[in-house]
Amino acid sequence: MQFTSESVEALVEQFTKLPTIGRKTAQRLANYILKMDEEAVEKIAEALLAVKRKVQRCSTCHVVADRDPCPICSDSKRDPSTICVVEESSDLLAIERTGEYRGRYHVLGGVISPLDGVGPDDLRIRELARRIDPDFASDGDPPPLDAVDADPDGEGLSGGSPSGASATTAGAAGDPGADASPKDASPEERSNGADASSSEDADEGRVNEVILAVNPNVEGDTTAYYISQLLEPFDVSVTRIARGLPIGGDLEYADEATLSRALEGRGDV
Amino acid sequence: MILRSLRLRSFRAHAETGLEFAPKVNLLYGPNGAGKTNVLEAVHYLCLTKSFTASTDRYAVREGAPYFEVEGTVAGVREAPVDVRIVYVPSEGKKVFVNGAPLDRLAEIVGMLPVVVFSPEDYDLTAGGPSERRRFVNNILSQARPVYMDDLLKYRRARKQRNEVLRQYKGRRESPPSSVLKPWTEEIVAIGSRVIQQRHDFLNTFSDYLTDAYRRIEAVAEKPSIEYDTVADVEDLRAAGATTEAESGPPASREAVAAAFRDALDRKRGSEERRGTTLAGPQRDELVFRLDDLEVRRYGSQGQHRTFGMALKLAQFFYLRDRADTDPLLLLDDAFGKLDRRRTDVFLQLLASDDVGQSLITATQHRSFAEALDFETSAHRAFRVDRVEQKARVRPADGGTWDDRAATDIEAGTPDDRDVVPDS
Ligand SMILES: [Zn+2]
Repeated sequence: MQFTSESVEALVEQFTKLPTIGRKTAQRLANYILKMDEEAVEKIAEALLAVKRKVQRCSTCHVVADRDPCPICSDSKRDPSTICVVEESSDLLAIERTGEYRGRYHVLGGVISPLDGVGPDDLRIRELARRIDPDFASDGDPPPLDAVDADPDGEGLSGGSPSGASATTAGAAGDPGADASPKDASPEERSNGADASSSEDADEGRVNEVILAVNPNVEGDTTAYYISQLLEPFDVSVTRIARGLPIGGDLEYADEATLSRALEGRGDV
Repeated sequence: MILRSLRLRSFRAHAETGLEFAPKVNLLYGPNGAGKTNVLEAVHYLCLTKSFTASTDRYAVREGAPYFEVEGTVAGVREAPVDVRIVYVPSEGKKVFVNGAPLDRLAEIVGMLPVVVFSPEDYDLTAGGPSERRRFVNNILSQARPVYMDDLLKYRRARKQRNEVLRQYKGRRESPPSSVLKPWTEEIVAIGSRVIQQRHDFLNTFSDYLTDAYRRIEAVAEKPSIEYDTVADVEDLRAAGATTEAESGPPASREAVAAAFRDALDRKRGSEERRGTTLAGPQRDELVFRLDDLEVRRYGSQGQHRTFGMALKLAQFFYLRDRADTDPLLLLDDAFGKLDRRRTDVFLQLLASDDVGQSLITATQHRSFAEALDFETSAHRAFRVDRVEQKARVRPADGGTWDDRAATDIEAGTPDDRDVVPDS
C-alpha cells in the first residue's frame, strides 16, 4: 500500500516500534485510527501519555502503581513476612488474580541474561536483599556471595560500563512488559521504602520466606539460583514455585515435556 | 503410521501437487531435479517441522510465492486419521496445525509422526565428524522423548549464555567473578547432565537394536558396537556400587554425571577464560563405532561404512517403533544409488515385508524396483515425477505405463500427455 500522507506514514512508523507489530499490522492500525472519531483517538493518546506521566513505581516492591507505596505494600492485612519475587509487574498481576496469595511482592525488573546484557546488578536483587536485612551491603560493598574472590566490576556496571549501557536497550527491547526502565528507583525512594517497613514493629517487619516466582526457563533458573545463593547467609527460607500443569488443561493433552517435568517435580499430596 | 495423502503448495519445485499413497512401498521416479526429493522433504517438514537437508526454510518456498504449505492425512497414530498441516510465511515463521488447531509450540509435533530418513549422506554417520553422530542421537531421542528435546534446547540456550559471560570477561581481560559465572555453570551442569544421562541410557539399549539391524543386512559374523565418549569414563557415570554388565550396562546416575561434568569444567576453567567459551559438556560428546575391534571411522571399507550407516538407520526404525507403538515412516532419498545389487535386494525385500511399515523412495529409474516389487497390487504405488514448465508434475504410474523417457520427450511426442499416462 502506498501512503500519500506523511502523517499516516509517521504513525505507521511509530506503531512498528511496538513489539509483535510488523509493518502490515501497523498499516492496518493506522487505517483504523484514520476512521475513528477524534474523541476516541484523543482517549488513546491521553492514556498513552498518562502511563508515562502518572504511573510510578512503588519504592518498596517496585511494581508500577499510581501511588507510592503501592496498595499492596500499604495494605496492613497483607503478610509482610512473605515476599513473592516476580520478574515483571505483569507477573504480579497474574498472581494477584488467583486471589490465593496474601503476602507481599518484589519486582526484579527482568532476569539475568548475559546475551541481553543483563547482569545481576541490573536487576533489583540488592533491593530485595535489603528488604530482608536493611544492613545488607550498600552499593559500595561486594556481595557476600562465595564470591569473596572479589567482584571488581560489581559497581562498574552501574557506572556506565559496556554491559551496563546495553542493559537499558535490552530492557526496552527484550522485555516489552510494563517495566521499561529497571533502574528508575532512586536512592531516596529506596531509603523511604526501608523506613516505611522498619517503622513497623521490628519483629512484624521480619521476612521469613522468599518465594521465587520466576519463569521456568534457563534465565529464570539461573536468577533463582543466584538469589538463593545471595540470601543463603540470612535466616530466611527461599522456595521456588513448582512448575506444573496448566490448570484446566486436560492431562491427556498436556504437552509431554511439561507432563514429564510435572511428574519429576511431584510432591506429597 | 500410514501417510494416506499429501498436498504441497508452493513448496520448492511444486506449485500444487497432491498425492495418494499406498500403505507399503511408494516409489517416486524421474530425472534428477524434477522434484522427487522435495516430496520427501515436505513429509519431513510435517513430521519434524524441518527438512532433512541442510537447507533453510526460506529456500523451501517456491520462487515468487509468498509462503509454502504442506498438508498430510495420517492414519495409525490416533483412533481417527489425523490431519497435519504446516505453513511457513518468511516474515512470520512456521505454524503447525493438527486437525485444524494450531500448536502452541512447533516442538509438540515432534514424535507424533515418527520418521527415519535413509540417504547417501548416511555415509557421514560413520565417516564424518562427531557432530553427525550427535545429530543422529539427538534425532532419535527427540522423537522418542519430548523431554529430551526440551532439555537439549534449554542446554543450548544456557551454554550460549555462559559463553557470553566468558566472552565478555575475556574482552576485558579479567576472570569472571564466581558470583556471575557460577549460576550459569550450575545451570549447564544441571541440564547437561540430564542430556548426558539420557544419551548414556539410550546407547545402552540401542546397541542391541544395532546388532539386530546389522544382521538383517549383512550375513557375516562381525559384531557392531558403540562406545560413548563423554565428560568422563562411562563406568564413572554409574551409581556407586553398580557393576558393569557385558551387554547392556546399568543406567547412569544423575549425581555421578553432574559431578563428572562439574569436574571437567573445573579442569578446563583456565582455557575457557582464555578462549572465552565453554569447553566441556555434551556438545563435545563423541560416539565411536566399531565392528568387532575395528574402528569404522578410521579403518572401515566403503562397504562397511554403507552397511553400518544403513544398520544405524534400521536400528533407529525398530527403536522408534518400540517407543512409539507405531511403524515410523521410512523416507529413502536416493538411498540405493550407491548400494550393490545384493544389498539393494535385501533391503527391498525388507521394505516389502511385514517387518516394516510404509516407505517413500526416490530413484532416477524404476527398473530395479519393478523387478523386486509388484506394483500391480494395492500395497505399492509408483509415481512418475517430471519438471514441466518450471514446475514439478507428479502422476501415478503402474506396470503398464512405466516410462523412463525424459519429460521433454513426452512433451514433444504427444500433444496431450494425459493420453499416455492416464490418471488412476
Ligand atoms: Zn509495593
